[in-house]
Formats: sequence, structure tokens, C-alpha cells
Amino acid sequence: MAIEVSINGSAAPGARYVTWAPSPCSARLQAGAGATSPITVTLRNKPSASGGTVVFYSKATAAPANTLSLTLTVGTPVSFFVAGEFGKASVSDGDVALQILNGTTVLSETPLMVRIRKNANTLTPGERDRFVAAFAQLNNKGAGRFVDFRNIHTQAGKPEAHGAPGFLPWHRAFMLDLERELQAIDPSVALPYWRFDQKAPALFTLDFLGSSNSNGTVQFSPTNPLQFWATDGTPGIIRRPLFNVASEPAQNVLTEAQTLALGNKFTLFRGMEGNPHGFAHTSFGGSISQIPTAAKDPLFFLLHANVDRLWAKWQKKFGRFNTTLAAAFDSNAATGGNRIGHNLSDTMWPWNGVTGTPRPPTAPGGPMADSPSARAPGLKPKVQDLFDYQGAVAATSWLGFDYDDIPFA
Amino acid sequence: MSMKKTGKTATKKRPAAAKKASAATASGAKAKTAGGGSRGDKEQIRALSSMSGDICEDAKKLQSVLDMIKDASAPLPVRMAALQTMLAASFSAANFDACRPDFLAALRSVVADPELEIRQRVLGILSREHDGYAQQVLLDGLREPAKALLPPEKALQLLSYDIHTEAYPVARQIIQNPPNPAAKLEAMRLLAADAASAPVFEKILRNKREPEDVRQLSASALHGLDPQKLQEHARKIVLDKSEGDQLRATSLTAITQFAKHPDMIKDSALQKRVDELRTGEGSAALKRVSRRFLAKFSR
Repeated sequence: MAIEVSINGSAAPGARYVTWAPSPCSARLQAGAGATSPITVTLRNKPSASGGTVVFYSKATAAPANTLSLTLTVGTPVSFFVAGEFGKASVSDGDVALQILNGTTVLSETPLMVRIRKNANTLTPGERDRFVAAFAQLNNKGAGRFVDFRNIHTQAGKPEAHGAPGFLPWHRAFMLDLERELQAIDPSVALPYWRFDQKAPALFTLDFLGSSNSNGTVQFSPTNPLQFWATDGTPGIIRRPLFNVASEPAQNVLTEAQTLALGNKFTLFRGMEGNPHGFAHTSFGGSISQIPTAAKDPLFFLLHANVDRLWAKWQKKFGRFNTTLAAAFDSNAATGGNRIGHNLSDTMWPWNGVTGTPRPPTAPGGPMADSPSARAPGLKPKVQDLFDYQGAVAATSWLGFDYDDIPFA
Repeated sequence: MSMKKTGKTATKKRPAAAKKASAATASGAKAKTAGGGSRGDKEQIRALSSMSGDICEDAKKLQSVLDMIKDASAPLPVRMAALQTMLAASFSAANFDACRPDFLAALRSVVADPELEIRQRVLGILSREHDGYAQQVLLDGLREPAKALLPPEKALQLLSYDIHTEAYPVARQIIQNPPNPAAKLEAMRLLAADAASAPVFEKILRNKREPEDVRQLSASALHGLDPQKLQEHARKIVLDKSEGDQLRATSLTAITQFAKHPDMIKDSALQKRVDELRTGEGSAALKRVSRRFLAKFSR
């Protein structure tokens, strides 16, 4: 008996990545030798000593369960939902297997991954090594696709991304675009975050994002491929910490609790662009401390993953996923009162390809990278497409990422 | 003036203020700038950390922060915090462009500050802004070390943010006659953007008398300028039993990360050598990257 399993609407292996949000799945009993119909089957995790764990839902709004019974008839797909069990993320690709059993007989086994953005300080050596290898490949000694990411975040692009309400949605899109490019190289990679209000001794090491010498030039171990990192034709990374990276958080940054206490309205919360965001950047000398050069340092993306995590955590705390709520965004935005690119219905540069005043003169990189598992936010995302990242308001809005400390809404 | 002479002058005749500031840095300026100082200083720093968002909307507030940056008699942690506030505002303030000229002018006024930490931070900020004045100051200091406001390795590093060909001759001279090992490495980094320098890096990479870190950086530079050439050299280094572990690990990392898959599958000599390295007496790093190579390229 053969059973075809689809995850995230596809039977392709590239779609077999789930988060804490329920992913739409189906099982179809295929015609052929031994196929008797109907049959009752049970879905469960393949017992495993380590790795991720998934839970099952009969429908997206149902309670999660460790097993699920389905009745299959030949040729007809039966839908169900799968999500990672909160707190039990994968550590490698395919370390979870969805088993379908008839009695005690295993009819099918589908490997998948609970792919979650994690605190960089807690990654396993394997997760760390895969991440730096994918990032080094994206950079490709300065000649790779990373050039576009470096060229997007410049002084010319500043008005699209900073100093206005779209700061958080724009950077969420920027992180997602980069993460999807990394996943095109190695689908097991999720963008880790640098929790800058805590010490992160495992991050600033020779084997991970490097250790700065007294001159502020970042050193790597001989096995770390980031030693070949180059931007603007120059090899290496310049980053001079103004705090002790082994024992202190970034300099003068608000804590997570202080950030979440900025207010329950977006207009208040977006003050975090100054502190902690700006102060995390400027806790260093070197590239990361200024807009025109910040994206030359791979740390930029881990810093912004944390900025995004803080927004996600704030959204969860106050229920701010739905853009129809005035408090979820800037109140001017619904009427188009903000600068272009910062209103809910505006498309975002550079993914929209629009150039010339008031947009920047060029739009590096083309449209948003697509994903084999998530359909949103589309190739030319609008500001409003970046809010419901878990698909809690509308399942079609799911962006395909989650954080290790924020459960499904 | 020969670079050897320049290098000696650089260490002997640096301004007294620069020497004093260097000593402060060596004795732990990081801790000092990260929040040391009196209770009053800490309160000032706390106040500064909350004012980046609207700094450009209040002329008095802006001026007071710029004055703190310029006040050489103010405690260093407070001045550093004032710099941080302005830089944080450059990320977040909608109208930062309006106060940017005043900020840059304030920075230019303190490039020769008695505190090395301030000079270094300020010249760094200006260099990232591609500020012509700062670039000229840095170049002048490299050409005439008596005028240098920063150590040569820092000046070279900052010039790499916006490479102009006028920096190349002085960088080449420093590679020939470096005032210190760090300056040589930074000169090499700067020249890595110069396609004409590929033979220099190839020569250094081949020279077993050069220190391993110098040869490692040559490998990185050559990888950007002539990837095919680097792959050839990397292969030779991995096969050469007289090479050090660190350079072999770097070379094998370059191959594992960037070489073409079919070429590696067919290269039985390399496969055999890497298999030996995997189980041999080499360093843990060399064994680790050997395992990675074999996992990726095993037949």
C-alpha cells in the first residue's frame, strides 16, 4: 500500500519544513497492489531520541494531539495539519519523521524538519556550521548573491527602511529574503538571532561570527568559511566591540522587558528603532555601526533577527497581528499619510522594482525570494503582508518562520 | 623616505597625546567606555541612551550632545555615550539628515582629540561616511608618521572603507617594510581590492618563510582576485606534507566550500591525502575540515 503525503500543499521534499503554526497537509491512498479501501490509519512521530517533534490537528483550529486517526480511501486526499511542538525544534534536516500506521504496520514515513529561528548563543555546532557555510556561500568571496543585500541597505535606501513606521515590516521582509536565499543553499538553515540584551559568548567566537582583534579586524578559525567573506572588493569584516562580548550584553541597550513595555500601541513600540535597535548597532565600532556599511557585517542579520523577534513577541503579547487594528500599526498609515513605502497598502522597495524619486535610484536584487513551503508574502510584498507572519489571522499569510521562544498565536 | 624609516618614526614620534591614549586603551579602555565612571557619569549616560529618537527636533538638545562630544575635559565614557546617541539617531531619526552636517562638523573638529579612543571612533565614523577630510588626514599620517593620529594599521583599515588608488602606493610600501605585523596585514587587506596586486598575494602565499596568518590572508585576497589560482595553490598546500596545519586547514576549507564538485570527485590524489589527514596526527581543525571535505566529495 502506498500513501502520498503532502506537506504545505506539496509532495516535494523541499516543502517539508514546518514551524509552530499548523501547516496544511494531506494523505492520499494510492491505487495499486494491496490497496484496500477504506482503511483507518494513525499519524504519529517516529519515535526518536533527539531532534524535533510534531503535533497533529484534524483542522487548523482544533487542539493539537500527538497522534491523529484518518480514514483513507483510494485516490482521495484527506487533509490534516502538522506543526512543531512548541519548544521541540529540529536540530538537523529530516530529524522528524511523520509515520502513518495501519495497526502496528508502518505504511509510510515522511522526513521533515521543525525549522525555527533560534538564539544564536544556543545553536549546536552542526547548526552553527551549516549556517556559516551557507552564509559564506551566499557571499562567495564577495562575488555572490549577497552583493544585492549589501547594496540594498545603504544611505540611498535609508528612507525606505528607517525613521518611519515601515522600519519593522521592511526589515522583516529583508530578513526573510536573506533567509530564503540561505535556504536555497541549505534548506536546513534558519536565521539565528543575536539576543543583544544578554551576553552571547558562543556567538563571537572564531568558529561562528568571529572574534575581533585589538584593531577591530575579525578573526576566524581556519575551518570557518567566513574567513573568505568579502564586501566592496575587500576581504574581511571590521567590528570593534565597545563592550565585553563574552560577559556583557550590548552597550546601553534596553532589555527585552523594557522594550516590550514601551507601550501597547505600535506608535509607541516603534520607538525601539532608537533603543535597543540603534544602540545595539552602535555598541561596536566598525561597519555595523552606521547605515551605509552595516550590512557588510553578517552580524547585521542576526541583530535584526532579534529586532524582528522583539516585534513578534510584542505582537503576541498584545495581539497585534491583524492590520485592521489601529494599534497594530501607525494610525496614519491606513489613510496613506506616511511617506511612500510606510503605509499598509504600499509596496516595498526594492522588491517592487520601483526606482526614481521618491524611491531610490536603483532597486538591487529583484523580487522577494520565493519558498517551496510558504506562499506569502509574494514577490512584491506590501507593508501589510508582513504582520501575520504565523498565519494566525489568515493561514495564507504564513511566512514560514517562527522563533524558539514565541508560540503560535 | 623609505618605509622602514617611516615605520620607526611612526612608533617613536607619535604625538604625546596619542601615546597617552594608547596606554589608556591597552589598559582596558573597553571596560572604561562600556559604562565605567562615577554615578553622575552613569546618570548622564542613561539620559543620553533615551534621547536618540528626537535629538534632531530639538536644537538645544542637539547642541548639548555635540558639545559633550567636543569637550575634551568631559569623562571619556560620557563622550563615547554622546557619540553613541548620535549614531543611534542616524539609524532611527526621521530627520537626521537635517542635523547630519552639524554632527559631521563636530566630528571633524575632534579628529586630533587627546583621547585615542575618541580619535579612533570619530575617524572611523567619518571614514564610513567617505569623508574626504578624514581620508586625507589618514593618508597624511601614513606618509608622515609624525603627523599620524592613529596607528598605521588602524589608518589602513579605515581607508579600506572607500578605496582610492592613492592609498595603494603607501600600502605596497608597508607590505615591503611594515612598521609592525598588524600594519602589514591591514595593508594587504586594502590591496586585496586591487586586481594588479594578485601576483603579490600569490608570491606571499608561496613563500613558506612568511607567517601563517600572512599567508592565510593572502589566500583570502587571492580567492577574491583570482579564484582559480587560489584553488590550484590550495590543492598544492593540502598535498604538501611540509606545510603547517593551520594553512592546510584554511586551504582545505577553501576547497571544500568553493571548489567544483566534479573536479573534486575525480581528484584521487587529493581524496587520498584528505583521507590520510582525517585519521592522521594533524590538528583537530584539520581533521574536522577533512571530514567535511570527504562528506561532501566522497565518490
